[in-house]
Amino acid sequence: MLRHTTTLQRILLSVLGGAIAIGITFFLSGSNNQLLALATAYAITILGLSFLTGWSGQISLGHSGFMAIGGYVTALWLQHFSSTPMVLTLILATAAAAVGGVIMGLPATKLRGPYLAGMTLAFAVALPQLPESLGPWAGGSQGIPLQTPTAPHWFANVVGGGPLAIIATNYQYDAIVGILVCTVAFFIVSNLFASKTGRAMRLVRDNDVAAELVGLNLPRTRTLAFAISAGLSGLGGAVFAYMNGTVSPASFPYVLSISLVTYMVLGGMGTLQGAVYGGLLAVYATQITNWISNTVGIDPNSNFGLNFQNILFGGLLIVTMITAPRGLAGLIHLLKGLVQKQMSKQRQ
Amino acid sequence: MNGFLTNRILSDVLYGITNGVTIGLVALCLVLIWRSTHILNFAQGPMAMFVTYIGLTQMDHGLGFWPAALICMVVGFLFSGLTERLIVRPLYNKAEINPIVVMVGFFTVLEAVATAIWTNIPRYPVAPFSSINFQAGGSPTALSPLAVFQIVLAVGAMALVTVLFNYTKLGLQLRASALAPEVAKLLGVRVNRLLTLGWSIAGVVGAVAAVVVAINPSGMSPSMMDGIFILGFVAAAIGGLESPLGALVAGVSMGILMQFINDYWNSNYADLVAVLILIVVLMVRPQGLFTKNTARRV
Amino acid sequence: MIKVANLNVSYGAVKALRDVSFEAPSGAITAVLGANGAGKTTLLRTISALVEPQSGQIFLDERNLVGMRPEAIARLGVAHVPEGRGVIGEFTVDENLRLGAIAHKVTLAEGIAEQFELFPILKERRKQYAATLSGGERQMLAVARAMIAQPTVLLLDEPSLGLAPKVTFDIMTTIRQLCESRKLTVLLVEQNAKSALRIADFATVLHVGTAIASRPAAEVAADDSLREYYLGMPSS
Repeated sequence: MLRHTTTLQRILLSVLGGAIAIGITFFLSGSNNQLLALATAYAITILGLSFLTGWSGQISLGHSGFMAIGGYVTALWLQHFSSTPMVLTLILATAAAAVGGVIMGLPATKLRGPYLAGMTLAFAVALPQLPESLGPWAGGSQGIPLQTPTAPHWFANVVGGGPLAIIATNYQYDAIVGILVCTVAFFIVSNLFASKTGRAMRLVRDNDVAAELVGLNLPRTRTLAFAISAGLSGLGGAVFAYMNGTVSPASFPYVLSISLVTYMVLGGMGTLQGAVYGGLLAVYATQITNWISNTVGIDPNSNFGLNFQNILFGGLLIVTMITAPRGLAGLIHLLKGLVQKQMSKQRQ
Repeated sequence: MNGFLTNRILSDVLYGITNGVTIGLVALCLVLIWRSTHILNFAQGPMAMFVTYIGLTQMDHGLGFWPAALICMVVGFLFSGLTERLIVRPLYNKAEINPIVVMVGFFTVLEAVATAIWTNIPRYPVAPFSSINFQAGGSPTALSPLAVFQIVLAVGAMALVTVLFNYTKLGLQLRASALAPEVAKLLGVRVNRLLTLGWSIAGVVGAVAAVVVAINPSGMSPSMMDGIFILGFVAAAIGGLESPLGALVAGVSMGILMQFINDYWNSNYADLVAVLILIVVLMVRPQGLFTKNTARRV
Repeated sequence: MIKVANLNVSYGAVKALRDVSFEAPSGAITAVLGANGAGKTTLLRTISALVEPQSGQIFLDERNLVGMRPEAIARLGVAHVPEGRGVIGEFTVDENLRLGAIAHKVTLAEGIAEQFELFPILKERRKQYAATLSGGERQMLAVARAMIAQPTVLLLDEPSLGLAPKVTFDIMTTIRQLCESRKLTVLLVEQNAKSALRIADFATVLHVGTAIASRPAAEVAADDSLREYYLGMPSS
């Protein structure tokens, strides 16, 4: 994960990655840009999850809960202060989720074993039940609507969509906004990983004794990692709220937590690229499943077809974890190595 | 006296115990697997659910309740043991998140396969016990014959497990394999087989728990164990993950507390309260309420 | 008899044993001596199949043990008291002893009575958790638990570790008695060369994974250069 890079290199890489992604939006249809906008939200959340795993070797089954905190804080805040700049709202949502992360992380990060996973799962189950009972201000099961970012005039002029393409223009604008937030989040995390503490944590990830030898305060570092991870998921939830135009308990069911883990592992846990692949998988999983269903000849409306997506991705998760725990990112890395080897052979 | 039997608080306690023994069973199941292989089986709920559906299909084919329940237990034994052999064994000595992730994947697959085969329309298997509450002086108490059966079944399973682990040669080997696998091997104990057997026994306990849930008047569905699994985990963690008795006591206490929250406050807050209690308990006593300090090796 | 031939063991890139060969004759105590990290514990763990060797053979009489499972080797009558004694602290003294007999065709009651005769203190403590015992008592329990299975070979890993000289002396004397009364083949790994040489018949000296000497114990004890350079015993 960009282990041996300087700050300048990381800035350049982030700007380059963001610019390429923005460039791509010009070639995508409106609906694909809409999906891409949502993918940025999931990518940021998965980045948070991946950060936790890569940093402290622990896993959370409750990041849908932190997404929910971020999403609801955004929606509720905008209901009362609708003119707040997006940047401020995003920071607020991140902070709120990070506070939640500290509360959850304090006891669990002191313990080894699966406590954190179990506790966070329980948290993700408990949270979506609340809005219905908290009173009308929480939106109940209907949820809370909010205004999605609308393309300003100058943007519409640049894209040149005209009045008929206004929806597609908006979707593209949303995708670009998402990409910008994403780029900042990825840049920050890459810096954290390259920091002294980040390097130390990676070295001693699975070895408590070594951690104390190098002078790390393990519980504190783990709690901090969990808070940052939860904060990133809150940011993802906030971006989701903006892009989706509404938040409701159904946006953040606990099974979303499980899906997030699935896409993180399939994308490649503990890596920045993996989080990008994971975010894209999250929004394209249904299309991928349908494509496979059509190819193999499964009736999508049969009982089996309706459950095929979960069978497929659950199965992939098990197989990946047992045989290739580095996921898609690891696979691409491997292929790149093979291609380079071939090329150098040909040169000789 | 009759007034006492139908008293609201006593009723809540009784309803709570009925739910609590099931939570305790799920917790016990988690503890058994944790003690033997240091894995928290996140797929335990769906595994038990799957087994009950197999029993249910036998009932659909005309089999009676008792043979079907027996089938559930036998299938639970085999299924859980097989899971250990095929899915879990490659994960020993790997980073702790690997088994968690794999079992989460297994969770997803099992629920999806079950929904594909049996749909998520609830089914109502009928146990040969009435769910109509006993009467006391003209008004209903909080106990039905079905509830009594559920409690007896759960407590019976728990007692059998306790006897097996603490008073038999097999139990001695099971405990030794869990506590000190290397030492057990040096003494000639066939540790690998016993780890499989540990999962199998947990599979039977899980099957009992799922049968108890399935015959509830609210019926069964592929996600029927999800909610109770969460409470079971909280109970097991409060008990310290190592203590079967702790799992039972914490499970029943949770059941009663949840019932009081449902009755006097709002059922939507119950899970959150459970999480908060767990946070507080782990802050004060990280090793859980029922685990001796010395026994915990972090 | 235990015979080790050309044994090589490595942990990743680190070679723990290089071409080690020696013999531990039946009915005698063979001490395996050497400094920390010489490969003594690895040797015992390889014999018990807890560690897999890269190459080489290990014979129990005529049978090659390499490739067998640890529990199968234990069932052949090879008892291994591991480093740190390996008593299960969460078990009572009684439970530890019962566990020792569980995989073997021996009469439990008789075996326990016999061990209590040998180690009377264990009888007093039989209901206590092993975690509450003193270091010496734990070592006695570990030996008793191994002996209850009536083994023909006893592998002992640093029985003197952390014990007072007087307790060490008693334990070593007991081991000598057991060896003679049961015709036991004992492989005694020790860093405390002086105590081990007192009771041993033969001694093998390991130095960074290589066996540099295998001779009668008295000869090793008398060899000044071995004593000084490898066993940390100044010449008397």
